[in-house]
Amino acid sequence: MIFEKRTERILVPMFFMVALFLPLFLESNSFFVGKVTTIIILSIFVMSLDFLVGRVGLITLGHALFYGLGGYLFVILAPEYEAVNFWIYTFYICGISALIALITGAVVLRTTGIYFIMITLAISQMMFYYFFDSLEFGGDDGVFIFMKPETSIFGLSFLNLDDPQHFYYLTLFSLFNTLVFFKVVLRSRFGRIVEATKQNPDRTEALGYNIFIFRLACYVIGSTLGAYAGFLFALQYGFVNPSFLAWEMSGTALVMSILGGLGTIYGAILGTFTYEGLQYLFEHLTEEWLLFMGSAIILMVIVLRKGIAGYLEKLLEK
Amino acid sequence: MANDIVLETEALSKHWGGIKALNDISLQFHDRQLHGVVGPNGAGKSTLLNMLCGSLKPTSGCIFHKGERIDTLKPWKFVRRGIGRSFQKTNIYPEATCIENCAISAQRRFGGNFNLFVSRHSNKLVRKAAEQALAQVGLESRSDTVAAEISYGEQRQLEIAMVLATDPCILLLDEPMAGMGHEESQRIIELLKELKQTYCIVLVEHDMDAIFELSDQLTVLDNGRHLITGTVDEVRNDPRVKEAYLGAEEDDAEEEAA
Ligand SMILES: Nc1ncnc2c1ncn2[C@@H]1O[C@H](COP(=O)(O)OP(=O)(O)OP(=O)(O)O)[C@@H](O)[C@H]1O
Ligand SMILES: [Mg+2]
Repeated sequence: MIFEKRTERILVPMFFMVALFLPLFLESNSFFVGKVTTIIILSIFVMSLDFLVGRVGLITLGHALFYGLGGYLFVILAPEYEAVNFWIYTFYICGISALIALITGAVVLRTTGIYFIMITLAISQMMFYYFFDSLEFGGDDGVFIFMKPETSIFGLSFLNLDDPQHFYYLTLFSLFNTLVFFKVVLRSRFGRIVEATKQNPDRTEALGYNIFIFRLACYVIGSTLGAYAGFLFALQYGFVNPSFLAWEMSGTALVMSILGGLGTIYGAILGTFTYEGLQYLFEHLTEEWLLFMGSAIILMVIVLRKGIAGYLEKLLEK
Repeated sequence: MANDIVLETEALSKHWGGIKALNDISLQFHDRQLHGVVGPNGAGKSTLLNMLCGSLKPTSGCIFHKGERIDTLKPWKFVRRGIGRSFQKTNIYPEATCIENCAISAQRRFGGNFNLFVSRHSNKLVRKAAEQALAQVGLESRSDTVAAEISYGEQRQLEIAMVLATDPCILLLDEPMAGMGHEESQRIIELLKELKQTYCIVLVEHDMDAIFELSDQLTVLDNGRHLITGTVDEVRNDPRVKEAYLGAEEDDAEEEAA
């Protein structure tokens, strides 16, 4: 069983059951379907960050670089007025993102601690300003995506990305796969060494493991999934702009992951939904929602300590 | 005789700014022998082991393993050549169980370290090697206990089990018995006696009785200098050694006399 904790075994099926039937109840309200779709996409992004920060021990402030890349790579690669194949472009985008992660990772992972935080931030800011100033990619306005990809496999098409419900199920399916993937990887032999490296890097090296390679592999995995989330987000809204790779994006995702319970993986879903839920609530209650939002987050992080997942585990595990 | 030298240092030095932690050390370590290293606090014993296992780079001088120069290699390559070390300051995975601590150590040599999908528990060989290492130090009953929760002495035992699980040919042990009870120490002494039949062991230890009992060769370091290397009797009767110890610590000197 890849879900080792009781909390996970209760929460994960519960969440996906509710999520599976949600569009049926919200049929008349496509705004909510869209909103939940966005939060699910964000959850994938936050989960990939949670893996890197909470499980590998790589505190990156530049994860949004890949979120943005996911979107920009699509507009760079795909012809403007032609529907390309979704699966093939997912493959391209993930492949190129993985390559970019491999190259940037080989540089940033030479540093540790505060230097790692700074250099990841610097690289993502560099890309931010590159796209911000680029005429070709619309500067700070970004680029529109006029044609959504089609999704046929061997001529068979069962998914229409223009249909919000179809798109919703695609993102939900992606989130589920991401969760299972991370869980499997962390339980694997590879995962054992990743866990060891996080707990005690010096000892792991003294035991003969090249910890640089393990970290690099994780960096590539996490970054690629982050890019995939960015790609989905760009498809949902039909545009991509520099705010995708702004540092605020990395920062918010980090807060969501801490709020959910750093390193718990499934906590990323809890954190993202709670954060977005609170924001929605405060936005509709008051003009000064940012103030309330900030206070609420700080309070929750202080009171819960190990995040929402940590709190629930305290209740549910014996 | 010459061809059973497995590890050799040549004019090895380590300086930190003005501190000469080790100066011009040339030593030879033989296969199937236990080589003791003693010296007062700050003599440079740990520094020597840190360089022998690759985690510290020498300021000058070289290290040879079976005739090949190794001091320029990355630390993790040392273990692949069969050089394993234990730490003076307990260095384990506190959140993992004892068996998992040893499994992490053992897994490297069985391959599949980059297998993302197969469960870590599926390899019976890793599990067996880990169990064997725990049994060697007498920790089998603690197998499923989290390492942070066992006693300090037991953590010292685990520390040794983790080195054994890497299946080394050269064992570098930094004060393995420090902090252990008498019974556990005795057990480790017996284990080392058995292991030195097949391995090369470099043992740093403050317990003089243990060192005298176990060592085939004994080196005394003092203040970064190499004082003497010889058999236990040669070292015991050397006037320079007595001087170094009398100059350093009272109780060490008493042990020396005893
Ligand atoms: N990282 C470091 N930076 C500066 N000086 C160091 C460092 N590590 C060790 N030293 C110095 O090098 C000298 C030798 O230290 P080392 O730890 O090798 O001694 P030791 O023989 O193992 O002593 P002990 O018996 O206390 O373990 C000491 O004077 C110590 O202060
Ligand atoms: Mg020492």
